Amino acid sequence: MLAIDAHDVEKTFRSGWPRRRETAALRGVSLTVERGAIVGVLGPNGAGKTTLLSILATLLTPDRGRVSVLGHDVVRDATALRRRLNMVSGRPSFLWSLRVGEIVAFYGRLYGLHGQVLRRRVDMLIELCELVPYRRVPYSDLSTGLKQRVALAKALVNEPELLFLDEPTLGLDPDVAVRVREHVARLRREQGITIVLTTHYMREADELCDEIAFIKAGKILARGTSGELKRQIRLGEVIALKLDPPRVPWLAESPGVLRCVETDGWVECTVDEAEKRLPELLRALFTEGVVIRNVQVREPELEEVFVELAK
Amino acid sequence: MSWRNELLAVWAVTLRNALMGARNVFFFFELLFWPIVGVLSIGLMSRFLGLTEAQASFVLVGTIALSVVNVCQLEVAYAVLLDVWSKSLKHQFLAPIGIRHLTLGSWIVGMVRSLCVFLLLAVLGWWAFGFRVLQPGWVALGAFLLGCFLTAWVVGVAVCALITLFGNRAEAFAWASVNMVLVLAGIYYPISVLPDPIAAIARAVPLTYFLDAYRAHYGFESEFRAPIATGLALSALYAALAHWAFLSAIQRARRTGLLLKMSE
Repeated sequence: MLAIDAHDVEKTFRSGWPRRRETAALRGVSLTVERGAIVGVLGPNGAGKTTLLSILATLLTPDRGRVSVLGHDVVRDATALRRRLNMVSGRPSFLWSLRVGEIVAFYGRLYGLHGQVLRRRVDMLIELCELVPYRRVPYSDLSTGLKQRVALAKALVNEPELLFLDEPTLGLDPDVAVRVREHVARLRREQGITIVLTTHYMREADELCDEIAFIKAGKILARGTSGELKRQIRLGEVIALKLDPPRVPWLAESPGVLRCVETDGWVECTVDEAEKRLPELLRALFTEGVVIRNVQVREPELEEVFVELAK
Repeated sequence: MSWRNELLAVWAVTLRNALMGARNVFFFFELLFWPIVGVLSIGLMSRFLGLTEAQASFVLVGTIALSVVNVCQLEVAYAVLLDVWSKSLKHQFLAPIGIRHLTLGSWIVGMVRSLCVFLLLAVLGWWAFGFRVLQPGWVALGAFLLGCFLTAWVVGVAVCALITLFGNRAEAFAWASVNMVLVLAGIYYPISVLPDPIAAIARAVPLTYFLDAYRAHYGFESEFRAPIATGLALSALYAALAHWAFLSAIQRARRTGLLLKMSE
Protein backbone atom coordinates (compact mmCIF):
# COMPACT_ATOMS: atom_id res chain seq x y z
CA MET A 1 0.00 0.00 0.00
CA LEU A 2 1.34 3.41 -0.94
CA ALA A 3 1.87 6.23 1.52
CA ILE A 4 2.95 8.62 -1.23
CA ASP A 5 1.95 8.54 -4.86
CA ALA A 6 3.21 11.57 -6.78
CA HIS A 7 3.17 11.90 -10.56
CA ASP A 8 4.80 14.50 -12.81
CA VAL A 9 4.99 17.15 -10.11
CA GLU A 10 6.13 20.55 -11.33
CA LYS A 11 6.88 23.67 -9.34
CA THR A 12 8.31 26.96 -10.53
CA PHE A 13 9.07 29.90 -8.25
CA ARG A 14 8.69 33.40 -9.58
CA SER A 15 10.42 36.38 -8.01
CA GLY A 16 11.60 39.91 -8.73
CA TRP A 17 9.84 43.02 -9.89
CA PRO A 18 9.43 44.53 -12.46
CA ARG A 19 11.59 41.87 -14.20
CA ARG A 20 10.28 38.45 -13.19
CA ARG A 21 12.77 35.67 -12.59
CA GLU A 22 11.58 32.09 -12.86
CA THR A 23 13.25 29.17 -11.13
CA ALA A 24 12.04 25.70 -11.98
CA ALA A 25 12.39 23.80 -8.70
CA LEU A 26 10.68 20.57 -9.77
CA ARG A 27 10.40 19.38 -13.38
CA GLY A 28 8.12 16.40 -13.53
CA VAL A 29 9.03 14.50 -10.38
CA SER A 30 7.32 11.16 -9.78
CA LEU A 31 7.78 9.34 -6.49
CA THR A 32 6.04 6.46 -4.78
CA VAL A 33 6.70 5.40 -1.20
CA GLU A 34 5.37 2.23 0.40
CA ARG A 35 3.79 2.47 3.84
CA GLY A 36 6.28 1.77 6.60
CA ALA A 37 9.32 2.49 4.43
CA ILE A 38 12.12 4.97 5.02
CA VAL A 39 12.98 6.72 1.79
CA GLY A 40 15.83 9.16 1.41
CA VAL A 41 15.77 12.05 -1.02
CA LEU A 42 19.34 13.09 -1.77
CA GLY A 43 20.72 15.76 -4.00
CA PRO A 44 22.96 18.82 -4.15
CA ASN A 45 21.87 22.24 -2.83
CA GLY A 46 19.01 23.69 -4.85
CA ALA A 47 18.12 20.29 -6.33
CA GLY A 48 14.49 20.54 -5.18
CA LYS A 49 14.54 18.27 -2.11
CA THR A 50 12.89 20.72 0.29
CA THR A 51 10.41 21.84 -2.38
CA LEU A 52 9.36 18.23 -2.93
CA LEU A 53 8.98 17.57 0.80
CA SER A 54 7.06 20.81 1.28
CA ILE A 55 4.58 19.85 -1.43
CA LEU A 56 4.11 16.41 0.08
CA ALA A 57 3.58 18.04 3.50
CA THR A 58 0.99 20.53 2.12
CA LEU A 59 3.16 23.57 2.80
CA LEU A 60 3.44 24.31 -0.91
CA THR A 61 0.98 23.70 -3.70
CA PRO A 62 2.26 22.11 -6.91
CA ASP A 63 1.86 23.92 -10.24
CA ARG A 64 1.14 20.67 -12.07
CA GLY A 65 0.94 16.98 -11.37
CA ARG A 66 -1.05 14.69 -9.13
CA VAL A 67 0.00 14.13 -5.52
CA SER A 68 -1.75 11.72 -3.20
CA VAL A 69 -0.43 11.31 0.36
CA LEU A 70 -1.98 8.70 2.68
CA GLY A 71 -4.86 8.55 0.21
CA HIS A 72 -5.55 12.32 0.39
CA ASP A 73 -5.06 14.81 -2.42
CA VAL A 74 -2.51 17.33 -1.08
CA VAL A 75 -4.46 20.31 -2.38
CA ARG A 76 -8.12 19.31 -1.96
CA ASP A 77 -7.83 17.29 1.29
CA ALA A 78 -4.99 19.23 2.87
CA THR A 79 -6.66 19.78 6.26
CA ALA A 80 -7.55 16.11 6.74
CA LEU A 81 -4.06 15.11 5.65
CA ARG A 82 -2.35 17.50 8.08
CA ARG A 83 -3.83 15.57 11.01
CA ARG A 84 -1.92 12.47 9.88
CA LEU A 85 1.55 13.78 9.07
CA ASN A 86 4.25 15.91 10.61
CA MET A 87 7.66 17.31 9.82
CA VAL A 88 11.06 18.00 11.37
CA SER A 89 13.41 20.39 9.64
CA GLY A 90 17.06 21.22 10.11
CA ARG A 91 17.66 24.34 12.22
CA PRO A 92 14.09 24.37 13.56
CA SER A 93 12.56 27.45 15.09
CA PHE A 94 9.70 27.93 17.53
CA LEU A 95 8.36 30.82 19.60
CA TRP A 96 11.41 31.93 21.53
CA SER A 97 9.96 32.56 24.96
CA LEU A 98 7.77 29.49 25.17
CA ARG A 99 9.18 26.68 27.29
CA VAL A 100 9.86 23.20 25.94
CA GLY A 101 6.76 21.66 27.54
CA GLU A 102 4.58 24.56 26.39
CA ILE A 103 5.70 24.21 22.77
CA VAL A 104 4.85 20.51 22.63
CA ALA A 105 1.53 21.14 24.43
CA PHE A 106 0.63 24.02 22.08
CA TYR A 107 0.98 21.82 19.01
CA GLY A 108 -0.76 18.96 20.82
CA ARG A 109 -3.84 21.15 21.34
CA LEU A 110 -3.85 22.06 17.65
CA TYR A 111 -4.19 18.32 16.96
CA GLY A 112 -7.15 18.05 19.35
CA LEU A 113 -5.36 16.70 22.44
CA HIS A 114 -6.42 17.96 25.86
CA GLY A 115 -6.56 17.13 29.56
CA GLN A 116 -4.90 13.93 30.78
CA VAL A 117 -4.23 12.66 27.25
CA LEU A 118 -2.31 15.82 26.36
CA ARG A 119 -0.35 15.80 29.62
CA ARG A 120 0.59 12.13 29.22
CA ARG A 121 1.62 12.63 25.57
CA VAL A 122 3.76 15.65 26.41
CA ASP A 123 5.40 13.78 29.32
CA MET A 124 6.08 10.76 27.14
CA LEU A 125 7.62 12.77 24.30
CA ILE A 126 9.74 14.86 26.62
CA GLU A 127 11.09 11.66 28.12
CA LEU A 128 11.53 9.98 24.73
CA CYS A 129 13.49 12.93 23.37
CA GLU A 130 15.60 13.21 26.57
CA LEU A 131 14.27 16.67 27.38
CA VAL A 132 13.19 16.10 30.98
CA PRO A 133 15.78 18.50 32.52
CA TYR A 134 14.85 21.18 29.98
CA ARG A 135 11.08 21.02 30.26
CA ARG A 136 10.80 24.51 31.79
CA VAL A 137 13.63 26.10 29.80
CA PRO A 138 12.63 28.76 27.20
CA TYR A 139 13.29 27.67 23.63
CA SER A 140 15.71 30.56 23.01
CA ASP A 141 18.02 29.24 25.77
CA LEU A 142 18.44 25.78 24.22
CA SER A 143 21.46 24.53 22.26
CA THR A 144 21.10 23.50 18.60
CA GLY A 145 20.93 19.82 19.51
CA LEU A 146 18.24 20.38 22.13
CA LYS A 147 16.22 22.52 19.71
CA GLN A 148 16.36 19.64 17.23
CA ARG A 149 15.04 17.30 19.91
CA VAL A 150 12.18 19.70 20.67
CA ALA A 151 11.36 19.67 16.94
CA LEU A 152 11.29 15.87 17.01
CA ALA A 153 9.02 15.85 20.08
CA LYS A 154 6.68 18.34 18.40
CA ALA A 155 6.67 16.26 15.22
CA LEU A 156 5.56 13.15 17.13
CA VAL A 157 2.82 14.85 19.14
CA ASN A 158 0.03 13.77 16.76
CA GLU A 159 1.41 10.22 16.36
CA PRO A 160 1.91 10.80 12.63
CA GLU A 161 1.59 7.99 10.12
CA LEU A 162 3.99 9.85 7.86
CA LEU A 163 6.97 11.87 9.01
CA PHE A 164 9.06 14.19 6.86
CA LEU A 165 12.60 14.78 8.06
CA ASP A 166 14.22 17.65 6.21
CA GLU A 167 17.92 17.46 7.06
CA PRO A 168 17.17 16.51 10.67
CA THR A 169 20.82 16.28 11.76
CA LEU A 170 22.02 19.48 10.10
CA GLY A 171 24.50 21.28 12.36
CA LEU A 172 24.31 18.70 15.15
CA ASP A 173 27.28 17.32 17.04
CA PRO A 174 28.12 13.78 15.85
CA ASP A 175 26.94 12.15 19.10
CA VAL A 176 23.60 13.98 18.98
CA ALA A 177 23.23 13.12 15.28
CA VAL A 178 23.78 9.44 16.12
CA ARG A 179 21.01 9.64 18.77
CA VAL A 180 18.60 11.33 16.34
CA ARG A 181 19.29 8.56 13.81
CA GLU A 182 18.63 5.96 16.50
CA HIS A 183 15.30 7.67 17.31
CA VAL A 184 14.32 7.62 13.65
CA ALA A 185 15.19 3.94 13.25
CA ARG A 186 13.25 3.12 16.42
CA LEU A 187 10.18 5.05 15.21
CA ARG A 188 9.96 2.92 12.11
CA ARG A 189 10.76 -0.30 13.99
CA GLU A 190 8.32 0.21 16.86
CA GLN A 191 5.55 2.33 15.33
CA GLY A 192 5.78 1.53 11.64
CA ILE A 193 5.86 5.22 10.68
CA THR A 194 6.59 5.96 7.03
CA ILE A 195 9.53 8.35 6.86
CA VAL A 196 10.79 10.52 4.03
CA LEU A 197 14.20 11.95 4.73
CA THR A 198 16.40 14.51 3.02
CA THR A 199 20.00 14.72 4.06
CA HIS A 200 23.43 15.78 2.95
CA TYR A 201 25.04 13.01 4.96
CA MET A 202 25.46 9.93 2.79
CA ARG A 203 26.21 7.70 5.75
CA GLU A 204 22.90 8.73 7.31
CA ALA A 205 21.02 7.80 4.15
CA ASP A 206 22.95 4.55 3.76
CA GLU A 207 22.26 3.63 7.39
CA LEU A 208 18.57 4.56 7.60
CA CYS A 209 16.94 4.32 4.21
CA ASP A 210 15.35 1.34 2.51
CA GLU A 211 15.45 3.25 -0.72
CA ILE A 212 17.11 6.39 -1.99
CA ALA A 213 16.01 8.80 -4.69
CA PHE A 214 18.63 11.10 -6.19
CA ILE A 215 17.25 14.43 -7.27
CA LYS A 216 19.09 17.04 -9.28
CA ALA A 217 17.84 20.20 -10.98
CA GLY A 218 14.25 19.26 -10.15
CA LYS A 219 14.37 15.74 -11.60
CA ILE A 220 14.82 12.35 -10.00
CA LEU A 221 17.87 10.88 -11.73
CA ALA A 222 18.08 7.52 -10.01
CA ARG A 223 16.20 5.52 -7.46
CA GLY A 224 16.75 2.24 -5.62
CA THR A 225 18.42 0.68 -2.62
CA SER A 226 21.92 1.81 -1.80
CA GLY A 227 23.34 -1.34 -3.44
CA GLU A 228 21.16 -1.04 -6.50
CA LEU A 229 22.24 2.54 -7.03
CA LYS A 230 25.88 1.63 -6.80
CA ARG A 231 25.38 -1.05 -9.44
CA GLN A 232 22.99 1.05 -11.51
CA ILE A 233 25.49 3.78 -12.25
CA ARG A 234 28.32 1.26 -12.75
CA LEU A 235 30.84 2.85 -10.47
CA GLY A 236 32.66 -0.46 -10.21
CA GLU A 237 34.43 -1.76 -7.13
CA VAL A 238 37.46 -0.43 -5.33
CA ILE A 239 40.70 -2.37 -4.77
CA ALA A 240 42.80 -0.53 -2.21
CA LEU A 241 46.49 -1.46 -2.11
CA LYS A 242 49.32 -0.52 0.26
CA LEU A 243 52.51 -0.92 -1.79
CA ASP A 244 56.25 -0.54 -1.52
CA PRO A 245 57.24 1.55 -3.42
CA PRO A 246 53.99 3.42 -2.79
CA ARG A 247 53.62 4.83 -6.33
CA VAL A 248 53.12 2.52 -9.30
CA PRO A 249 52.21 4.71 -12.30
CA TRP A 250 51.39 1.87 -14.72
CA LEU A 251 48.57 0.52 -12.50
CA ALA A 252 46.08 3.00 -13.95
CA GLU A 253 46.83 1.65 -17.46
CA SER A 254 46.13 -1.99 -16.52
CA PRO A 255 43.16 -3.77 -18.16
CA GLY A 256 39.84 -3.28 -16.33
CA VAL A 257 41.13 -0.43 -14.16
CA LEU A 258 38.86 2.60 -14.54
CA ARG A 259 40.90 5.01 -12.43
CA CYS A 260 43.48 5.10 -9.64
CA VAL A 261 43.90 7.62 -6.84
CA GLU A 262 46.44 7.86 -4.04
CA THR A 263 45.17 8.65 -0.54
CA ASP A 264 47.01 8.34 2.77
CA GLY A 265 49.60 5.89 1.49
CA TRP A 266 46.96 3.74 -0.24
CA VAL A 267 46.43 3.35 -3.96
CA GLU A 268 42.70 3.02 -4.65
CA CYS A 269 41.96 1.44 -8.02
CA THR A 270 38.37 1.45 -9.20
CA VAL A 271 37.91 -1.62 -11.38
CA ASP A 272 35.03 -2.99 -13.46
CA GLU A 273 34.99 -6.34 -11.64
CA ALA A 274 37.13 -6.93 -8.55
CA GLU A 275 36.88 -10.71 -8.57
CA LYS A 276 38.41 -10.87 -12.02
CA ARG A 277 40.90 -8.00 -11.77
CA LEU A 278 42.40 -8.60 -8.32
CA PRO A 279 44.43 -11.75 -9.28
CA GLU A 280 45.62 -10.04 -12.46
CA LEU A 281 46.80 -6.95 -10.61
CA LEU A 282 48.51 -8.93 -7.85
CA ARG A 283 50.30 -11.08 -10.43
CA ALA A 284 51.49 -8.00 -12.35
CA LEU A 285 52.71 -6.29 -9.19
CA PHE A 286 54.53 -9.44 -8.06
CA THR A 287 56.19 -9.77 -11.48
CA GLU A 288 57.40 -6.13 -11.28
CA GLY A 289 58.84 -6.74 -7.81
CA VAL A 290 56.47 -4.44 -5.97
CA VAL A 291 55.92 -5.43 -2.34
CA ILE A 292 52.22 -5.74 -1.43
CA ARG A 293 51.75 -4.82 2.25
CA ASN A 294 47.94 -4.76 2.41
CA VAL A 295 44.94 -5.33 0.13
CA GLN A 296 41.27 -4.39 0.64
CA VAL A 297 38.31 -4.75 -1.66
CA ARG A 298 35.16 -2.71 -1.10
CA GLU A 299 32.06 -1.38 -2.81
CA PRO A 300 32.09 2.33 -3.62
CA GLU A 301 30.67 4.59 -0.89
CA LEU A 302 27.24 6.13 -1.42
CA GLU A 303 29.06 9.44 -1.38
CA GLU A 304 30.87 8.44 -4.57
CA VAL A 305 27.53 7.58 -6.16
CA PHE A 306 26.28 11.02 -5.11
CA VAL A 307 29.31 12.76 -6.59
CA GLU A 308 28.93 10.82 -9.81
CA LEU A 309 25.24 11.66 -10.12
CA ALA A 310 25.69 15.27 -9.11
CA LYS A 311 28.23 15.87 -11.93
CA MET B 1 -13.68 19.06 12.83
CA SER B 2 -15.71 18.69 16.04
CA TRP B 3 -16.74 21.65 18.17
CA ARG B 4 -14.41 20.45 20.90
CA ASN B 5 -11.46 20.46 18.51
CA GLU B 6 -12.49 23.89 17.23
CA LEU B 7 -12.51 25.26 20.78
CA LEU B 8 -9.24 23.51 21.61
CA ALA B 9 -7.48 25.08 18.64
CA VAL B 10 -8.80 28.53 19.63
CA TRP B 11 -7.73 27.89 23.23
CA ALA B 12 -4.25 26.80 22.06
CA VAL B 13 -3.73 30.13 20.31
CA THR B 14 -5.22 32.06 23.25
CA LEU B 15 -2.88 30.37 25.70
CA ARG B 16 0.14 30.80 23.44
CA ASN B 17 -0.46 34.53 22.93
CA ALA B 18 -1.14 35.04 26.63
CA LEU B 19 2.10 33.28 27.60
CA MET B 20 4.11 35.23 25.04
CA GLY B 21 2.54 38.48 26.21
CA ALA B 22 3.31 37.77 29.84
CA ARG B 23 7.00 37.20 29.05
CA ASN B 24 7.73 40.14 26.78
CA VAL B 25 8.91 43.34 28.39
CA PHE B 26 7.82 45.41 25.37
CA PHE B 27 4.24 44.35 25.96
CA PHE B 28 4.39 46.32 29.22
CA PHE B 29 4.90 49.50 27.21
CA GLU B 30 2.00 48.65 24.95
CA LEU B 31 -0.23 47.91 27.89
CA LEU B 32 0.66 50.70 30.29
CA PHE B 33 3.12 53.30 29.15
CA TRP B 34 1.66 54.64 25.90
CA PRO B 35 -2.01 54.54 27.00
CA ILE B 36 -1.23 56.44 30.21
CA VAL B 37 0.89 58.98 28.34
CA GLY B 38 -1.98 59.44 25.86
CA VAL B 39 -4.70 60.09 28.45
CA LEU B 40 -2.50 62.37 30.58
CA SER B 41 -1.31 64.49 27.65
CA ILE B 42 -4.77 64.85 26.06
CA GLY B 43 -6.43 65.50 29.44
CA LEU B 44 -3.86 68.15 30.35
CA MET B 45 -4.13 69.74 26.92
CA SER B 46 -7.93 69.96 27.29
CA ARG B 47 -7.43 71.66 30.68
CA PHE B 48 -4.92 74.12 29.19
CA LEU B 49 -7.32 74.96 26.34
CA GLY B 50 -10.12 75.47 28.84
CA LEU B 51 -12.49 72.94 27.26
CA THR B 52 -15.88 72.37 28.85
CA GLU B 53 -16.48 69.13 30.72
CA ALA B 54 -18.41 67.72 27.74
CA GLN B 55 -15.71 68.71 25.25
CA ALA B 56 -13.00 67.21 27.45
CA SER B 57 -15.06 64.01 27.65
CA PHE B 58 -15.36 64.01 23.86
CA VAL B 59 -11.58 63.97 23.32
CA LEU B 60 -10.93 61.60 26.23
CA VAL B 61 -13.36 59.09 24.71
CA GLY B 62 -11.24 59.29 21.57
CA THR B 63 -7.98 58.82 23.47
CA ILE B 64 -9.31 55.79 25.32
CA ALA B 65 -10.69 54.32 22.08
CA LEU B 66 -7.27 54.78 20.48
CA SER B 67 -5.52 52.79 23.22
CA VAL B 68 -8.18 50.07 23.38
CA VAL B 69 -8.25 49.55 19.61
CA ASN B 70 -4.47 49.75 19.31
CA VAL B 71 -3.72 47.16 21.99
CA CYS B 72 -6.40 44.75 20.78
CA GLN B 73 -5.47 45.13 17.10
CA LEU B 74 -1.78 44.47 17.79
CA GLU B 75 -2.64 41.30 19.66
CA VAL B 76 -4.68 40.06 16.68
CA ALA B 77 -1.75 40.86 14.38
CA TYR B 78 0.49 38.83 16.73
CA ALA B 79 -1.40 35.75 15.48
CA VAL B 80 0.99 35.91 12.53
CA LEU B 81 3.68 38.33 13.68
CA LEU B 82 4.91 36.14 16.56
CA ASP B 83 5.52 33.28 14.15
CA VAL B 84 7.07 35.54 11.52
CA TRP B 85 9.51 36.97 14.07
CA SER B 86 10.43 33.56 15.43
CA LYS B 87 10.41 32.02 11.93
CA SER B 88 8.05 29.26 12.96
CA LEU B 89 5.22 30.07 10.57
CA LYS B 90 5.46 26.82 8.65
CA HIS B 91 5.02 24.71 11.77
CA GLN B 92 1.81 26.58 12.52
CA PHE B 93 0.41 26.02 9.05
CA LEU B 94 1.58 22.41 8.93
CA ALA B 95 -0.86 21.73 11.76
CA PRO B 96 -4.60 21.45 11.07
CA ILE B 97 -5.26 25.04 12.12
CA GLY B 98 -7.68 27.40 10.41
CA ILE B 99 -7.43 31.16 10.28
CA ARG B 100 -10.58 31.35 12.43
CA HIS B 101 -8.65 29.69 15.28
CA LEU B 102 -5.77 32.11 14.91
CA THR B 103 -7.86 35.25 14.72
CA LEU B 104 -10.36 34.26 17.41
CA GLY B 105 -7.70 32.99 19.83
CA SER B 106 -5.59 36.12 19.53
CA TRP B 107 -8.69 38.36 19.60
CA ILE B 108 -9.70 36.89 22.96
CA VAL B 109 -6.29 37.79 24.41
CA GLY B 110 -6.53 41.19 22.74
CA MET B 111 -9.93 41.87 24.33
CA VAL B 112 -8.68 40.90 27.79
CA ARG B 113 -5.59 43.06 27.44
CA SER B 114 -7.43 46.05 26.05
CA LEU B 115 -10.11 45.69 28.72
CA CYS B 116 -7.31 45.99 31.30
CA VAL B 117 -6.07 49.11 29.49
CA PHE B 118 -9.61 50.50 29.42
CA LEU B 119 -10.11 49.97 33.17
CA LEU B 120 -6.78 51.60 33.92
CA LEU B 121 -7.52 54.60 31.71
CA ALA B 122 -11.07 54.90 33.06
CA VAL B 123 -9.75 55.12 36.61
CA LEU B 124 -6.99 57.53 35.56
CA GLY B 125 -9.46 59.70 33.60
CA TRP B 126 -11.83 59.87 36.57
CA TRP B 127 -9.05 60.56 39.11
CA ALA B 128 -7.14 63.15 37.08
CA PHE B 129 -9.88 64.83 35.05
CA GLY B 130 -13.22 63.80 36.55
CA PHE B 131 -14.15 61.88 33.39
CA ARG B 132 -16.83 59.20 34.02
CA VAL B 133 -16.91 56.34 31.55
CA LEU B 134 -20.10 54.97 33.09
CA GLN B 135 -22.07 58.16 32.65
CA PRO B 136 -23.76 56.76 29.49
CA GLY B 137 -24.66 53.54 31.33
CA TRP B 138 -23.53 49.92 31.12
CA VAL B 139 -25.27 49.12 27.84
CA ALA B 140 -23.81 52.12 26.00
CA LEU B 141 -20.37 51.39 27.44
CA GLY B 142 -20.66 47.72 26.41
CA ALA B 143 -21.64 48.70 22.86
CA PHE B 144 -18.74 51.16 22.67
CA LEU B 145 -16.21 48.57 23.84
CA LEU B 146 -17.66 45.95 21.50
CA GLY B 147 -17.26 48.43 18.65
CA CYS B 148 -13.63 49.04 19.60
CA PHE B 149 -12.95 45.28 19.80
CA LEU B 150 -14.64 44.57 16.48
CA THR B 151 -12.73 47.37 14.74
CA ALA B 152 -9.49 46.05 16.22
CA TRP B 153 -10.35 42.53 15.03
CA VAL B 154 -11.00 43.67 11.47
CA VAL B 155 -7.83 45.79 11.29
CA GLY B 156 -5.74 43.06 12.96
CA VAL B 157 -6.93 40.38 10.53
CA ALA B 158 -6.29 42.73 7.60
CA VAL B 159 -2.74 43.28 8.91
CA CYS B 160 -2.28 39.49 9.14
CA ALA B 161 -3.38 39.24 5.51
CA LEU B 162 -0.92 41.93 4.43
CA ILE B 163 1.99 40.32 6.29
CA THR B 164 1.17 36.93 4.78
CA LEU B 165 0.92 38.57 1.36
CA PHE B 166 4.05 40.74 1.44
CA GLY B 167 6.18 39.22 4.21
CA ASN B 168 8.17 41.18 6.77
CA ARG B 169 8.00 44.30 4.60
CA ALA B 170 4.36 44.72 5.60
CA GLU B 171 5.17 44.74 9.31
CA ALA B 172 4.89 48.53 9.41
CA PHE B 173 1.18 48.11 8.63
CA ALA B 174 0.77 46.45 12.01
CA TRP B 175 1.85 49.63 13.74
CA ALA B 176 0.50 52.25 11.32
CA SER B 177 -2.77 51.02 9.86
CA VAL B 178 -4.86 51.39 12.98
CA ASN B 179 -3.92 55.07 13.31
CA MET B 180 -5.25 55.75 9.84
CA VAL B 181 -8.54 54.09 10.79
CA LEU B 182 -8.72 56.12 13.99
CA VAL B 183 -8.06 59.39 12.16
CA LEU B 184 -10.87 58.57 9.74
CA ALA B 185 -13.24 57.53 12.52
CA GLY B 186 -13.08 60.99 14.08
CA ILE B 187 -11.02 60.23 17.11
CA TYR B 188 -10.82 63.81 18.47
CA TYR B 189 -13.52 65.44 16.33
CA PRO B 190 -16.91 64.74 14.75
CA ILE B 191 -16.54 63.55 11.15
CA SER B 192 -18.63 66.51 9.99
CA VAL B 193 -15.43 68.60 10.22
CA LEU B 194 -13.71 66.40 7.65
CA PRO B 195 -13.67 67.39 3.94
CA ASP B 196 -16.58 65.76 2.10
CA PRO B 197 -14.66 62.97 0.27
CA ILE B 198 -12.84 62.03 3.49
CA ALA B 199 -16.08 62.16 5.49
CA ALA B 200 -17.60 59.73 2.98
CA ILE B 201 -14.74 57.30 3.69
CA ALA B 202 -15.16 57.90 7.42
CA ARG B 203 -18.79 56.80 7.13
CA ALA B 204 -17.52 53.42 5.93
CA VAL B 205 -15.51 52.89 9.15
CA PRO B 206 -17.44 50.98 11.85
CA LEU B 207 -15.73 52.75 14.75
CA THR B 208 -17.15 56.08 13.52
CA TYR B 209 -20.63 54.85 14.50
CA PHE B 210 -19.64 53.41 17.88
CA LEU B 211 -17.82 56.62 18.85
CA ASP B 212 -20.81 58.65 17.71
CA ALA B 213 -23.26 56.55 19.73
CA TYR B 214 -21.18 56.70 22.91
CA ARG B 215 -20.47 60.42 22.65
CA ALA B 216 -24.18 61.10 22.21
CA HIS B 217 -24.54 60.32 25.93
CA TYR B 218 -22.14 63.17 26.76
CA GLY B 219 -24.41 65.75 25.10
CA PHE B 220 -23.26 65.60 21.48
CA GLU B 221 -26.06 65.05 19.01
CA SER B 222 -25.72 61.83 17.05
CA GLU B 223 -24.89 62.28 13.35
CA PHE B 224 -26.43 58.93 12.40
CA ARG B 225 -29.88 57.38 12.75
CA ALA B 226 -28.98 53.87 14.01
CA PRO B 227 -25.27 54.05 14.74
CA ILE B 228 -24.87 50.79 16.72
CA ALA B 229 -26.73 48.67 14.17
CA THR B 230 -24.82 50.30 11.30
CA GLY B 231 -21.52 49.82 13.11
CA LEU B 232 -22.28 46.15 13.78
CA ALA B 233 -23.36 45.52 10.18
CA LEU B 234 -20.22 47.16 8.80
CA SER B 235 -18.04 45.25 11.28
CA ALA B 236 -19.59 41.94 10.21
CA LEU B 237 -19.04 42.80 6.55
CA TYR B 238 -15.41 43.84 7.06
CA ALA B 239 -14.66 40.89 9.33
CA ALA B 240 -15.84 38.54 6.58
CA LEU B 241 -13.81 40.43 3.96
CA ALA B 242 -10.69 40.54 6.14
CA HIS B 243 -10.91 36.78 6.80
CA TRP B 244 -11.38 36.10 3.11
CA ALA B 245 -8.32 38.27 2.37
CA PHE B 246 -6.27 36.44 5.03
CA LEU B 247 -7.30 33.03 3.69
CA SER B 248 -6.46 34.09 0.14
CA ALA B 249 -3.09 35.44 1.31
CA ILE B 250 -2.24 32.11 2.95
CA GLN B 251 -3.25 30.19 -0.16
CA ARG B 252 -1.06 32.51 -2.20
CA ALA B 253 1.84 32.11 0.24
CA ARG B 254 1.55 28.32 -0.19
CA ARG B 255 1.63 28.84 -3.95
CA THR B 256 4.53 31.29 -4.10
CA GLY B 257 6.63 29.71 -1.38
CA LEU B 258 6.49 32.80 0.86
CA LEU B 259 5.24 30.60 3.70
CA LEU B 260 8.56 28.74 3.59
CA LYS B 261 10.62 31.90 3.09
CA MET B 262 9.14 33.35 6.26
CA SER B 263 10.11 30.22 8.19
CA GLU B 264 13.52 29.02 9.30
